[in-house]
Amino acid sequence: MSDKKRFLDKDYTRRQFLKLSGKSLAGVTMSSTMLSTLGVTASALAEDKVKVWAFPQGLLVVNPDRCVGCQRCEINCTLTNDGCCSSYISRVKITRNLYSSRNGNGLYTENNWVYFPDTCRQCEDPACGNACPMGAIYADESGIRRVDPDKCVGCGACTQACPWHMPTVNPVTKKSSKCVMCGACVEGCPSGALSIIPWDKVSAAAQAI
Amino acid sequence: MSVKNGINGWAGSILRVNLTTGAITTEDTLPKYKPYIGGMGIGYKIIWDEVPLTTDPLGPDAKAVFGVGPLTASGVPCSGRMNISMLSCWSKGYSIIDAHMGGHIAHAFKYAGYDAMIVEGQSDKPVYIKIEDEKVTIEDASHLWGKGTFEANALLCKECGEEFDVATIGLAGENLVPMSTLITSFGNSGGAGIGALLGSKKVKGFAVRGTGAVKIARPLEVKLLSNYMIKDLVGGNNNHNVPSVPQSWSEYTATTKNRWQGGPGVTWDKAPNGPIDTGEQPSGIINVAAMRCNKGVFDFGEVAEKYTVKQGGCSACPVRCYTEYDMDPLADYDLPTHVSNTCMPIISGKSIYPEGTHDFVDEGDAGIILGGAMSRAQDEYGVWCNYGNLYSDFSRTYKDGILKEHMTEEEWNAVNWQYMKDGDPRWCEEFFRLIAENFSAFGEIGKGSYYLYAAWGLDDATKNSAGKNYYDEVNGSNTNVTYNGYPKHHSSEDAWQSGLLFNSMYNRDCMIHHLTNFCRSGSPYEEVIKPVLEGFFGEGCVDAPKAYTPINENKVKLAKWAFNGKQWHDSATLCNWMYPMTLSTSKKRGYAGDLDLDAKYMSAVVGEEYTRESLEFESERISNLLRVMTAVSFKERLGSTNLRKDHDAIPAWVFDKEPEFKAFEQGTVKMDRDDMEKAQTMFYEAMGWNPETGIPTRETLEKFGLNDCADKLEELGLI
Repeated sequence: MSDKKRFLDKDYTRRQFLKLSGKSLAGVTMSSTMLSTLGVTASALAEDKVKVWAFPQGLLVVNPDRCVGCQRCEINCTLTNDGCCSSYISRVKITRNLYSSRNGNGLYTENNWVYFPDTCRQCEDPACGNACPMGAIYADESGIRRVDPDKCVGCGACTQACPWHMPTVNPVTKKSSKCVMCGACVEGCPSGALSIIPWDKVSAAAQAI
Repeated sequence: MSVKNGINGWAGSILRVNLTTGAITTEDTLPKYKPYIGGMGIGYKIIWDEVPLTTDPLGPDAKAVFGVGPLTASGVPCSGRMNISMLSCWSKGYSIIDAHMGGHIAHAFKYAGYDAMIVEGQSDKPVYIKIEDEKVTIEDASHLWGKGTFEANALLCKECGEEFDVATIGLAGENLVPMSTLITSFGNSGGAGIGALLGSKKVKGFAVRGTGAVKIARPLEVKLLSNYMIKDLVGGNNNHNVPSVPQSWSEYTATTKNRWQGGPGVTWDKAPNGPIDTGEQPSGIINVAAMRCNKGVFDFGEVAEKYTVKQGGCSACPVRCYTEYDMDPLADYDLPTHVSNTCMPIISGKSIYPEGTHDFVDEGDAGIILGGAMSRAQDEYGVWCNYGNLYSDFSRTYKDGILKEHMTEEEWNAVNWQYMKDGDPRWCEEFFRLIAENFSAFGEIGKGSYYLYAAWGLDDATKNSAGKNYYDEVNGSNTNVTYNGYPKHHSSEDAWQSGLLFNSMYNRDCMIHHLTNFCRSGSPYEEVIKPVLEGFFGEGCVDAPKAYTPINENKVKLAKWAFNGKQWHDSATLCNWMYPMTLSTSKKRGYAGDLDLDAKYMSAVVGEEYTRESLEFESERISNLLRVMTAVSFKERLGSTNLRKDHDAIPAWVFDKEPEFKAFEQGTVKMDRDDMEKAQTMFYEAMGWNPETGIPTRETLEKFGLNDCADKLEELGLI
């Protein structure tokens, strides 16, 4: 049994967490008390603006204030998953937010210093998978949504269906790719803007409250 | 897309945009340009082959080569730079020169599938070049012409789309001011007159989107090497390897102020959701690397924390040297409060206020507030400072009364001097507008020091009312390191004879950080710097601060390594502000870095075996190309047959400063004339150049396959 599978066996699982938080798709707003127990810095807690996503491995925390725009998350993603270096096909996306994002942020906007990576939410009810005409997006044993390259025809329905347009069709392989929670982006983030808090720590934190 | 064509490292294509004919073509990068690596090397080879060195640098036959290299966008840290090669329009001899641009556009360009872009010809109307993978078009830019770079970049990005990165020139470039830049991202610039060159071609800028990928031979190895570098080698900016603020894990705290200013209690106060403490940043941990530099604190002290939002920088770089500020005191003057820059424009605010400045909100904050105003105004107008000479040429001529002599009373009265006298941040806006608009004597300053000193008799003490030679004068503001119109860039004041030797090799400031990186690292000299460097280069290669010794072979070896290494970095492309990894943060390593790392990266990216020696050999080929082109320019334009005498001569102040000291006494960095003559002879011999003329020999050129260069030198009677 993989380590990832075992996370689901912890006292406090992703599903329980989602139920507790009352949200199942978009960002989960956690209480300051709980996050501070998890080691998220006090400064990041103000007004609950830290973005937190419930993943099979734990909580993925994106701290926009700490993102320095180096794009190393995209680099490590593609080196790990694609054997090449690219921005466009990365499963985590900062570059499109760095210049002039659709939200009006980025270096070439008035909100010059607001940029941070978009990450796959590993939705419980995945719009990408639901839209795929080939049934190519499936949940593995850890609950991670993956693209089966043998089934994928590169039509891009997943890209369009995802509210954040996270899956991307590789223009060379003509296959869609999406986040498989390998953790390379988090491992290589030099500012700690991306971090994963394992479920066992979440569990301990929840019990401590 | 290199993944498409199967090439590792290189994108495989060179783009050619002819603005006269509108023709857009591509050609293969390999095998022709492989011996020249990429970036600077490819740029030099193309200029050598295609642009006669007598060409008008701003005429229709001039070309600019925008180059990236096999390591750009390969995943290797600090690989976000673009090199731009062209003929100089302002320095003595008008020879080969480079601009170097950071930000994110080099990655976008490589992902679009190109190793280089040759921009040639001239458009008859304002245009920009739009690159979206293989789709390249020349677009109308009449709506952008006349706009500042911040507005133009924003409009261009909006027009092309959110995934396009952009770069534009400002009014200075449009008005053909030689001291001009191309600006990308936020305050990331290529200087050296690229603005004027693009302005002469009516090119406002370019926009790039790349959906491709760089193919990597051994991707896991690149990732592991990168992790190793960030964990065990990288410190702060300039790879300063010990923290300035005491940290519990660190054996040493910096002995001198250095560029690792983060640490417990050092904060980004203006982070939107409250201050972020940069905290402990131990060696061995990746996720804290970006918290180390805090360049603003290095530049201005703790007042910088008050205005810091976060730390930006370039693609792939874990060390963030562009502090991103929100300086609200500037709002009182109706100036933009968002500013960011890492170099002279942000640190030199006070330098264009020759009658003094005042603080604003906090004691000692004049530097940061005026630096904020200066960097924003300078970048908006796209003015290049020539590594500070623009500022000092203004302030020196103002103080000496010479500036006024070159303006009519009407012109003088048209300038809002009150802003300057009041220490008002709006003087920055006024100053750079006057430069960018070629206004009266300000236009002369904007032509650069070489032109200015000759035109105003500042190169001869008998020809100006102040009785000064601006090259030779002992004056804290004079940092001219040659008589060619550009200043030193970390020279003998940091690195004895070795630093001075390579400072005179180029046709602009040398942009070499190899030696200053370890000299100013903050590591203790006896315990770290001396043993590590002598381990690499032998006994006596380094001197203790202000305790210099006469030249020796190992100092020459060090100079040669730095000189060739800079060519490597600008060809690879890797940032010379970070590489080479001479020192390390790791106590376990004895703080020794890894000089073989670059070759390990090349081997893993390209899939062929490179060594430190093989890379230095290839880089030395580019060093020789630089030298040959300089020699040809000096012969064809000036009739010179001797670079040692006519290009590499060192101004008197280097030897005459601090008259209370003799050279090599404890307490001074002044140099000795006879010793430097000996050092130059030893350096030329080490390079395989004629020690009398400083020009490469045929034997040396043929060793690097530069037979055509040797033929040209022979034709001109230079060898």
